[in-house]
Amino acid sequence: MKPMVMLPLAILLAGAYGVFLIARLLQGGQRRAADSQITDLELMAQHHQVIALLTTGVGLLAGVWLVPLWRAAIGSGPLAWGSAGPFGVRLRADPLGLFMAALAVGLGSLVTLYSARYMSRDGGLEYYYPLLLLMMGGMVGIALAADLFNLYLFCELMSISSYALVAFRKERGLPVEAGFKYLVMGGVGSAMVLLGISLVYRATGQLDLVAIEAASNPIAWLSVPFFIVGFGIKAALVPLHTWLPDAHGEAPSGISAMLSGVVIQSGFYALLRVLLALGFPGEKFGLLLVAFALLGMTVGNLMALVQTKLKRMLAYSSVAQVGYILLGLGMGMHFGAVSAVLGGLFHLLTHAAMKGLSFLCAGVIAFETGLMELEEMEGVGYALPLVGAAFGLAVLGLAGLPPLAGFMSKWLIFKGGMETRSPLGYVCNAMLLANSLLSLGYYLPALGVLFSRSNPRQRQELSRWLAAPILVLAALVLILGLYPRPGLALALPAQAFVFEMLR
Amino acid sequence: MAAIVITFGPAEKKMSLNNHLLLAILTFPILISLILPLLRGKWAGYVGGIAALTAGLAFLMSLALIPALCRGGFIAFSRPWIPSLGIGFALRVDWLGLLFLLNLTGVTTLSLVYAWGYMRHRENLAAFYALMLAFMYGMAGAVLAADMLLFYIFWEVMLLGSCALIALWGDGPRAQSVALKYFIFTHIGSLLLLMSILCLFTRTGESDIYALRALLGEVDVGLLKVLFLLLTIGFGVKMAIFPLHTWLPDAHSIAPMPVTVMLAAAMLSMGLYGMMRFLPAFPAPVMEFFSLPLLVAGVLSQFYGGMMALAEKEAKRIIAYSSVSQMGYALFGMATLAELGMRGSVLHIVNHGIVKALLFLCVGVVMHATGRRLVAQLGGLAGRMPLTALCCGVGALAIAGAPPFCGFHSEWMIFAGGFATPHTLLAVLATIAPALTAGYALWFVARVFFGPSPQSLSVKDDTPRSMLAPMVLLSILALAAGLYPAPLYALAERAIASLGMGG
Repeated sequence: MKPMVMLPLAILLAGAYGVFLIARLLQGGQRRAADSQITDLELMAQHHQVIALLTTGVGLLAGVWLVPLWRAAIGSGPLAWGSAGPFGVRLRADPLGLFMAALAVGLGSLVTLYSARYMSRDGGLEYYYPLLLLMMGGMVGIALAADLFNLYLFCELMSISSYALVAFRKERGLPVEAGFKYLVMGGVGSAMVLLGISLVYRATGQLDLVAIEAASNPIAWLSVPFFIVGFGIKAALVPLHTWLPDAHGEAPSGISAMLSGVVIQSGFYALLRVLLALGFPGEKFGLLLVAFALLGMTVGNLMALVQTKLKRMLAYSSVAQVGYILLGLGMGMHFGAVSAVLGGLFHLLTHAAMKGLSFLCAGVIAFETGLMELEEMEGVGYALPLVGAAFGLAVLGLAGLPPLAGFMSKWLIFKGGMETRSPLGYVCNAMLLANSLLSLGYYLPALGVLFSRSNPRQRQELSRWLAAPILVLAALVLILGLYPRPGLALALPAQAFVFEMLR
Repeated sequence: MAAIVITFGPAEKKMSLNNHLLLAILTFPILISLILPLLRGKWAGYVGGIAALTAGLAFLMSLALIPALCRGGFIAFSRPWIPSLGIGFALRVDWLGLLFLLNLTGVTTLSLVYAWGYMRHRENLAAFYALMLAFMYGMAGAVLAADMLLFYIFWEVMLLGSCALIALWGDGPRAQSVALKYFIFTHIGSLLLLMSILCLFTRTGESDIYALRALLGEVDVGLLKVLFLLLTIGFGVKMAIFPLHTWLPDAHSIAPMPVTVMLAAAMLSMGLYGMMRFLPAFPAPVMEFFSLPLLVAGVLSQFYGGMMALAEKEAKRIIAYSSVSQMGYALFGMATLAELGMRGSVLHIVNHGIVKALLFLCVGVVMHATGRRLVAQLGGLAGRMPLTALCCGVGALAIAGAPPFCGFHSEWMIFAGGFATPHTLLAVLATIAPALTAGYALWFVARVFFGPSPQSLSVKDDTPRSMLAPMVLLSILALAAGLYPAPLYALAERAIASLGMGG
């Protein structure tokens, strides 16, 4: 029997409504029973962990459903599912899409677990968890969408829920400002994408990605700039990245982890799917990505060097890290270098783990000590040794030091550059190394501040709810660095599929 | 099941024990270093003892490899690691590797014992000892690795471990900036290594270091020269060859003494190990092309290090610059490409390990007893600390190459190798350098232990025996190795023979 392609998506979307209803019911029941003096926040706190666990459960359930899909997609090729008619929901599960979906669901589940404690001082949690589930649903939808209509729809679902989540702490000014900026820029991006889709439809009369590829009408290429700008905003390609540092810096840390780890990558994934479906030649597309990559790495790292807020620094580092992913895929598509594509895809995975981990650590620091400015964090590593050590693993991994996960993905990209045997490949490699070195220029001092001895702090207890997701991700960063086979087993079929699409 | 019984015949079983010994030398310290930070309560007091025992056991396990090596060949251990990329978890040891392995595990054991007393008033000792072990297994792993990627991973673990030790336990407020400088400098060297390693890997398709030799004949000589240069620079930074030495004086003087001992007596030699392991794989014309520049670099280091040691005012920095000079000897010996010179070079690694550890331990005892590190503020200590004065005198004579101490044996071999080359002038210069060494070493002893004692100098008599014992042991070794050098001669001869360069 074929596994149902729409089930993970259905679980996430139904789960969002279910969690909202349950949260409301619990709240209502409590309100009737409790003294009228009690505030919403206190009411919520009592059920918070239940709701968080419920949400994690929904995420994991969706994740478990991806496994049979993955097996089937590897075994017998992409699986399709869909309702009839031009505007029905049509999904297709292939290795690349399932890879993205697994990342989104995996990181999302950890973030919900983390939020159980991290968000315990915030109100309105009956909105927070459903929004997070909708965001995950949007990403899974993008990953599995079979036509442009659904791609756009799920892209909007992801974007709109993330606008709301960025501005979730609406009682403060900065998050709202950041969310509004993200909303305006993201909205322009969506409009661009819609325009592009209309052009494609005008040229080919098709919306299905496979059908568009079959129609291969060069007039449809007119839409390419619109897609690049539209999805480029979502993917924060330099110079369209200006919303990112604000949004990532001001969002609740769990949401920052999601944005940096999977949301912007989903935007890039959408761009990749659409442009390849349009029959845009991989060689030119690769060159374009390489150009964006070199720009992104350099700008991201240079901007990260001058940041004073930890989370903004991490945000700019994401701009740079997405550059490495683009570089791998770009060199791979331009030159046909297999290792580079594999490295780029593997870096998607390792970066999600490492950047997720570093944002979660930054969140714990803010939660336990209230500090946001880097220079005030002196000695925090001694107060919260687990967080300090995990943050160290994360940033050293991001800088590409062995034996951590980031090294494994970066050396694959580097090896791909060597395989090209062309001057451009060597230049890219030199830029990659120079940027890795440059990034050490802010990662190491940040670690140095955390473990500075100038301000002795008392050791603090760390809640298990916060420690668990951090431990999981830290273990992942270490294990993928020492034993990358499980990660490569996910990335290899996806890499094969990328080359299949190129043909 | 029957098949398995047959494959493990008696002879096979013996082999497999040795092979697993190889694995145990690495995994045992790794396990202990993970356990140490978790120890609580009563056990937390024993972390230093456990760490020293672990390192001592690694030393004994390395010794236990000798009988098997005497039976011929090498000992190897191999498991698939990342099969999809053709990379194995391959360990291998021959006589060359064994020499370095004995050197580094022995030095680590003694400096860990020394640390019991030297570090006892410091904080976070469990983490300190765990990182010391990480530093050690980083070095041991680099020596044992047969796979280039594995080699690089351990090479960087060594850097991470040592850098964290300097940053977290270094003396004074400059510790972090010195650690950053150390990291960036040596990491640039490592990146050059990575570049050439991956280029070798992509060109030959082989990631086994030991198999390179047969494959490099087919690679373009121009490219090989570039790779040779990159490797030499990469290893030269670690070895602190002039002009790549600038990280060394700072790092050695800021690091806590046990770490300094490991840096100077064990880690610098790793640079020579890398050269010895990689460079002879290159075709003879390439090696001969670089012989002269390397000889010149060796002589320059000898003189530069010696003169800086004469000019320095701080005790630790004097001994630190002496390392630059001594590594110049070792490089000179290797660059002669003559059998005798290369033997002298590896023998010098052992002797330098003994002597440099001895000198630093003496300086540490003086610093512990007086609390001072400037030579001008010391003097006349021979009466108060006769044992330390004696040991330091032995160390100074040995490093100057005076018979009957151990330094003499390696130095004459190196110079004899120098006269076997056509560059007689350089050989003459190299032979003059020990005069400079004698100058700074004996003058150092004279200024610290003899002459008038400053009025304000107070000497504490509470130096623990655990600090004195390694010092005495090393001075006995320095004399014994000088009086009865036959075992070391045999070891050096076999080490060079195992490179298989004859012809």
